[in-house]
Amino acid sequence: MKKIRNFCIVAHIDHGKSTLADRLIESTGTLAKRDMQDQLLDSMDLEREKGITIKLTPTRMKYTYQGEEYELNLIDTPGHVDFTYEVSRSLTACEGAILIVDASQGVEAQTLANAYLAIDNNLEILPVINKIDLPSARPEEVKKEIEDVVGIPADHAPCISAKDGTNIDKVLEMIVKEFPPPKGDETQPLKCLIFDSYYDNFKGAICLIRVFDGKVKVGDKIKMMQTGKVYDVTEVGVFIPGENPVQELKAGEVGYLAGSIKNISDVAVGDTITDALNPTQEALPGYKKVQPVVFCGIFPVDGSKYNELKDGLEKLKLNDASLEYSPEVSQALGYGFRCGFLGLLHLEIITERLEREFNLDLITTAPSVFYHVYKTNGEMLELSNPSSLPNAVEISYIEEPVVKASIYTPPQYVGAIMELCQDKRGVYKDLTYLDESRVRVNYVLPLGEIIYDFFDSLKSRTKGYASLDYEIDGYQRSDLVKVDILLNGEKCDALSIIVHKDKAYSRGRALTEKLKKIIPRQLFEVPVQAAIGGKIIARETISAMRKDVLAKCYGGDITRKRKLLEKQKEGKKRMRKIGSVEIPSEAFMSILKLDDEEN
Amino acid sequence: MLGIYIHIPFCESKCNYCAFNSFVAKEEEKEKYLDVLIEDISFFAKNNKRRVDTIYIGGGTPSLLNVKQFERLAKAIMDNFVIEKNYEFTIEANPNSLTEEKLKSYINLGVNRLSIGVQSLNDNSLKFVGRRHNSAEALEKIKLAKKYIKNISCDLLIGLPTTSCAEYLSALNTLIAYGVTHISSYMLQVEDGTLLKEMVIKNPKLLPDDDSCADIYQKMVEFLKKKNFQRYEISNFALKGFESKHNIKYWTGEEYIGFGLSAHSYIGGVRWSCADRLSDFYAHKKGMEEIIGDKEKIEEHIMLGLRCFNGIDLSYLCKLNYNIKNNAFFKEYLQKGILIEKGENKVVLNPDYYSVNNLIITNLLP
Repeated sequence: MKKIRNFCIVAHIDHGKSTLADRLIESTGTLAKRDMQDQLLDSMDLEREKGITIKLTPTRMKYTYQGEEYELNLIDTPGHVDFTYEVSRSLTACEGAILIVDASQGVEAQTLANAYLAIDNNLEILPVINKIDLPSARPEEVKKEIEDVVGIPADHAPCISAKDGTNIDKVLEMIVKEFPPPKGDETQPLKCLIFDSYYDNFKGAICLIRVFDGKVKVGDKIKMMQTGKVYDVTEVGVFIPGENPVQELKAGEVGYLAGSIKNISDVAVGDTITDALNPTQEALPGYKKVQPVVFCGIFPVDGSKYNELKDGLEKLKLNDASLEYSPEVSQALGYGFRCGFLGLLHLEIITERLEREFNLDLITTAPSVFYHVYKTNGEMLELSNPSSLPNAVEISYIEEPVVKASIYTPPQYVGAIMELCQDKRGVYKDLTYLDESRVRVNYVLPLGEIIYDFFDSLKSRTKGYASLDYEIDGYQRSDLVKVDILLNGEKCDALSIIVHKDKAYSRGRALTEKLKKIIPRQLFEVPVQAAIGGKIIARETISAMRKDVLAKCYGGDITRKRKLLEKQKEGKKRMRKIGSVEIPSEAFMSILKLDDEEN
Repeated sequence: MLGIYIHIPFCESKCNYCAFNSFVAKEEEKEKYLDVLIEDISFFAKNNKRRVDTIYIGGGTPSLLNVKQFERLAKAIMDNFVIEKNYEFTIEANPNSLTEEKLKSYINLGVNRLSIGVQSLNDNSLKFVGRRHNSAEALEKIKLAKKYIKNISCDLLIGLPTTSCAEYLSALNTLIAYGVTHISSYMLQVEDGTLLKEMVIKNPKLLPDDDSCADIYQKMVEFLKKKNFQRYEISNFALKGFESKHNIKYWTGEEYIGFGLSAHSYIGGVRWSCADRLSDFYAHKKGMEEIIGDKEKIEEHIMLGLRCFNGIDLSYLCKLNYNIKNNAFFKEYLQKGILIEKGENKVVLNPDYYSVNNLIITNLLP
């Protein structure tokens, strides 16, 4: 056990985590160079395409230092703010954390957040200055920044370039020297932590585990302490990377375990696995549950695919405990799920994974936040779905979540950013010159505005230079109203939005205009109205369709015409019916992109 | 009873909007085509001369056959089929290729219905679509034809850029005054691969929009109604008793046999076509073949029934295991008067909605 080092790499997004991981794997000879591909541990297509890490991936490497062979277990972690939860999970399986800081960017918001997470978990932290090959690199200043801002010593931090491989061996050396070996007792009853899991069609649910005490091998009877379920171990192994079966896993080791676990909901990430015949007395502390902040409805375009969607969500939930969902029935969209996410990126990634990995066509409704609705009878409702909002007369007031937002930008865009924040109902806090070329602007902003289109507007107003970080900062009372959309006089629940009173009119107008463009003409005239309660605030009219016929039907070529109709009928599956109005599924998504066209 | 369709693919020139299987041919080509056509006819009738009550020679331009050629063809039909007493025999003709000599031979061989491709009485419009006749010629030929044949149908194109609504109505008035008994009136369709399509790509505003076409069509329907022309199919209007018996066969699921390039047949639950390419046709090759099962029967019954006076027969659909009464749209359309009940088991489309029947039909399919 003295020869084992379990560690992870934490950093702000884009500071070079995955590249360093690749280099470590390469220099320890874990994989031959020809088997390497960029961002090796980002196994999802989506991860490579977006250049981000979403999931944790452990890798075992062999490294010889001063004649002794060490076993290094690296657990890669995501960097984006939405995935902080994943980071904290991997930390509990480690004794050490490499904190990467970009030599030109310096300390950023997530550097700090992740460093604190590691400190909270009692991890030894090794700062590493990356990208010293860049001309703008300023390693000495950055070291000082780390000491000043993060508050940990950094003078011994290796200065490396993960890209060209400079000083990678230094990092490996320091891992062995700086990080403590795991503690634990092989002779004690088995105690291991499930820090992640995924589903394999042949082996069932696979648990990613860190063994704290005891050992586990094929044939052992194990018990999930939280669910009480018992399984026979069918395989244990390590990632080099990719599954490699081994004889057994002992205290201090990181690896995986399979046990023909067919029901994926029986594997709870954070649960403790023990020996069913000789169980440990006390389970490991597990994880604190994170609260989703962004919500939306997800519905299959083809209503008959409900079960596939359910199955997909279940499987994604298996290794993404932060994903929440509950069944939702919409008058307009039928059966689907109300889902909760850690942020917009998380939302986007989940829907994309559902579409790609489970081959689904989805309709997502406008993202929304969790509101606190105080009723006149003293009751408080927590809700995210605009259609569950009670009647205006029953509402005393509504509170919405706000965030502390830090926007980093070159100074010339400060004006544009302040204008944007003002427009998004932001409250100015302060402005700090970090250096000559960088300013941090702090605002308190309603989360509902941020998830709408804030990020896109920010990028377009600053030519992409500004970056945004935010954290939830409680709730604040706000003058919010529900805007309903009526089609031919009938309310369409899936198109309702909750919006600030001052913006209700312009948003209502924009919505009706957009819907008029998207909804095809029907057999009769269709009024499209936006309303607050019983009051109509905007109206457009889709005039009746006048001509929709197939060419003449002579010469007996009826087959061709029938096939044309069959094809049109197929296309109808993408249509939803509200009362007697048919709406293409794209209409529900189009309201998400309202402001793009206004700008 | 069986109907016969014969396709004559020749034209003097191709019209701008035409996507049909037709082309300009030399005399030898025509002769060869007739040879193969007649071989096919006699092969079909070899062991069984079937009874027929409608014959339709369409195209292309069948009036481009000279008298001798037409006589060969007509004789082949008479020799190989048993013609019922109350038969209908239609030939399509173009104003410029129709002559008195041809008319005489038509009636001698039993033709009793003529369908003339007038298309328009506005000379600019005729030029626009690439027709070779002008309005005066068209009227002159109608007058001539009327001397020999009582039942005359004219085709009219709606949606041309150079004709006003008033002109359409006045054209109808003139044709009716000349004794025309049947009008087929279609909206101009821009088909792929036509010259018109290229013109529209170059100038997207070339043609009037759907709404104004629909307005004109509506006015024409009202006008024809006043003149006692019943709309018995979406684009067909006739004085009582002058409906096209042959075309009704297509719309009511009756059997027909087609001879000639791309001609379709439907017999014994199978639909097939002759080859689309001339060389394949000369080798007696087939085009498509499809078994019309219950699903297809249901779809075609709804699609065709709602395009014409015939409507849909609910008990027939039930027999094919489709209870259309459970379709939500069906209920809604009945309630709104878009569909009209005719007796216990029959439903027809309200003629006001003929022009948008596509959407309605799609919603009513199982």
